[in-house]
Amino acid sequence: MNLRRTWAVAWKEWREVMRDRLFFAMAFVVPSMILLVLGYGLSLDVENIPFAAIDQDKSALSRDYLHRFIDSRYFDYRGEARDEQELDRLLAASRIRFAIIIPPRFEERLLAGRPVAVQSLIDGIFPYRTQVSKGYVAAINADFSTTLLVDYLARKQGMSEAQARRRIEPVRLETRYLYNQAIRSTWSMSAGLIMLVLMVSPPFLTALGVVRERENGSIYNIYASTVSRGEFILGKLLPYVFISAINIFVLWAFVVWLFGAPFKGDPIFFYLASLVYVICTAGIGLLVSLMVRTQAAAALLTLVITFIPALLYSGLLVPVESMSADARFQAHLFPTLYYLQIVWGSFLKGLGWSVLWGNVLALMLYAVVLWSIGFLSFHKRPRQ
Amino acid sequence: MKGILLWLDRVAVMTLKELKQLSRDPILLVVIGYFFTADIYIAGAGISIDLKNAPIAVIDRDHSAASRELIYRFQPPYFNFQQELESNRQAVRLLDEGRVLAVIDIPEHFQRDLLAGRQVAVQMQVDASNATLGTLATTYAARIVARFGMELAERGMGPVQLQALPVVEDRQRVYYNPNQADTWFMSISELITVITMLSLMLPAAAAVREKERGTIEQLAVSPLSPTQILLPKVLAMGLAVMGGVAAALFLIIEPVFHVPIKGSIPLFFLATALYVFASSGLGLFIATLSRNLGQVVMLVLLIMMPMLLLSGAWTPPEAMPTLLCEAMHLSPLFYLTEMSYAILLKGAGMEILWKQMLQLALLGCVVFAFGVWRFRRQFG
Repeated sequence: MNLRRTWAVAWKEWREVMRDRLFFAMAFVVPSMILLVLGYGLSLDVENIPFAAIDQDKSALSRDYLHRFIDSRYFDYRGEARDEQELDRLLAASRIRFAIIIPPRFEERLLAGRPVAVQSLIDGIFPYRTQVSKGYVAAINADFSTTLLVDYLARKQGMSEAQARRRIEPVRLETRYLYNQAIRSTWSMSAGLIMLVLMVSPPFLTALGVVRERENGSIYNIYASTVSRGEFILGKLLPYVFISAINIFVLWAFVVWLFGAPFKGDPIFFYLASLVYVICTAGIGLLVSLMVRTQAAAALLTLVITFIPALLYSGLLVPVESMSADARFQAHLFPTLYYLQIVWGSFLKGLGWSVLWGNVLALMLYAVVLWSIGFLSFHKRPRQ
Repeated sequence: MKGILLWLDRVAVMTLKELKQLSRDPILLVVIGYFFTADIYIAGAGISIDLKNAPIAVIDRDHSAASRELIYRFQPPYFNFQQELESNRQAVRLLDEGRVLAVIDIPEHFQRDLLAGRQVAVQMQVDASNATLGTLATTYAARIVARFGMELAERGMGPVQLQALPVVEDRQRVYYNPNQADTWFMSISELITVITMLSLMLPAAAAVREKERGTIEQLAVSPLSPTQILLPKVLAMGLAVMGGVAAALFLIIEPVFHVPIKGSIPLFFLATALYVFASSGLGLFIATLSRNLGQVVMLVLLIMMPMLLLSGAWTPPEAMPTLLCEAMHLSPLFYLTEMSYAILLKGAGMEILWKQMLQLALLGCVVFAFGVWRFRRQFG
């Protein structure tokens, strides 16, 4: 390993990247763009669900009930429908996502102390949103029922209201949200997306860089030169690791300043761990570049093997514990899982070396394995 | 007449050339095949954004029958009881390490207070570093605790049955996806994403490759017009994408995920073809901006990301800020997303969708004409 030759390769690569102004600009713009778009797009707060209603009772109580939906910030009232056919049409045209039908004699039955079933229709196209909407409806119903029951018991059994409430709700659940008291999903999502962006962008840059030489044929200059394969790989990847190392700062700044997420951990630890992660994911790009011959194929293959694992198997959207057994196994095969814990640990939990050293070790192991495979399967005398 | 035949003949020959060129990059073909089958399978099968088996721990300071009964109710599918803890310090450590999602703290004299008719507070500490899961965990836990309390109250009330109490009961009916199968939603949304990426990337790559290798000069001196050079690229890549869509639909989405395809399949293909046409126009625009494939890839990502955000594929339009909601109408993907769900899951037909179909076609023509115009200016 000759450091001077390595440096020469790195310097050549750096100048090549610098001269391609558009590519150079994009190397910084695209990662931030992904962070911004997904950060806003994947924040899974469900609010303003458009809904319509049919009130067949038109009593004081039914209006009171309906207003619990209308006044809620989770629902957006689009008016009363004439009949069920109209609701069906509105749902089919995606004009509303939810509808509620209050039956006749709603007030009469409830005041007489009898239960009433209220029909709600929910659009099931977006399953997560459906699930959450169902939860909101259940919560509003439960809350309304409690009020009714308290009222009823107070009237029937002559209890005070406080007594009646204690009777109906003997156990209260007090929740404390740790690490993210206001449960802002943009905090979790934007910080977590650093993991995704740094999984996708370094391999992109490296794979394109290496395959470009191969597609243009300029790699034969390397084959014919005194540069050894180790020097070539290291020199070639160094500029891209450097770009990504700067991107760590950029992404961090976006998450903290634009999305307003707190950074509670140790910055030096986070930066070093991120650097190890970037080196590791650049290694993925190296492997991709060894498998393909054209840049188009390199770009697509990189997307395949980085984007989906980072989005779906990292714990960003679905916790690893909730996955099926084989999905959980797969999740442990990707570095994303370990790095995501580092990101959330550093940003939201304020953790450092003492808890997360194992994760850094896992990332290092990855980097060593990936780079070794890359080194061993790169040949200066390709068998064609 | 002869002119038209010649025109068509040239386009056909060039389309064949593009298809041959595509078929000679086996790895690219494998990757495209992978996108339309395995990738959609993985995205659809692996994931559902719901809380399942969330690991929890309990600090039981009462050790009574009542506390044990409450703990016993935190069960799969939502929760998975891991262990009992001694102290809050232990709880914080487990939460820090992410080994449990929540810790429930049952106070001393839990049972005694309940029997005495006093209200008891049970504490729960939730790891909200993933806000979505934190919210779900709280919702489910609150439901479990409320049910537990309700049943206690019922027992206390003796002969009065809950049946006869004035409560509002839920009768929920979920339309279009009654069991809320995530696979239905995820597989269609992934298909849309894959179509977008490939229909942007492939024509752009095919056009820039000619530039990068210098073969564009050969085409420029041939009797072909810019449209005759560009349209075949779009046709060939469009054919490849449509083939992929058919594979995805008939190999994965229908047989494996059992999505009930309610609408007309030809209509879906028509919508997809219009969309591919529109986004290939964008791809050609990208090709005129870039000099090499590296730049193409970067620009494709740059354009694709906002398109995906504004498409409604993840977030429906009503959840968007008003300004973005307006901007969505400029994204061709918005129309495809709306129509795909409408055709495949809701069974909507032309009588509902004609307007969106028309808008997409118009948008496609404008974008495509723009791409050709840019190209003509560069090489005319």
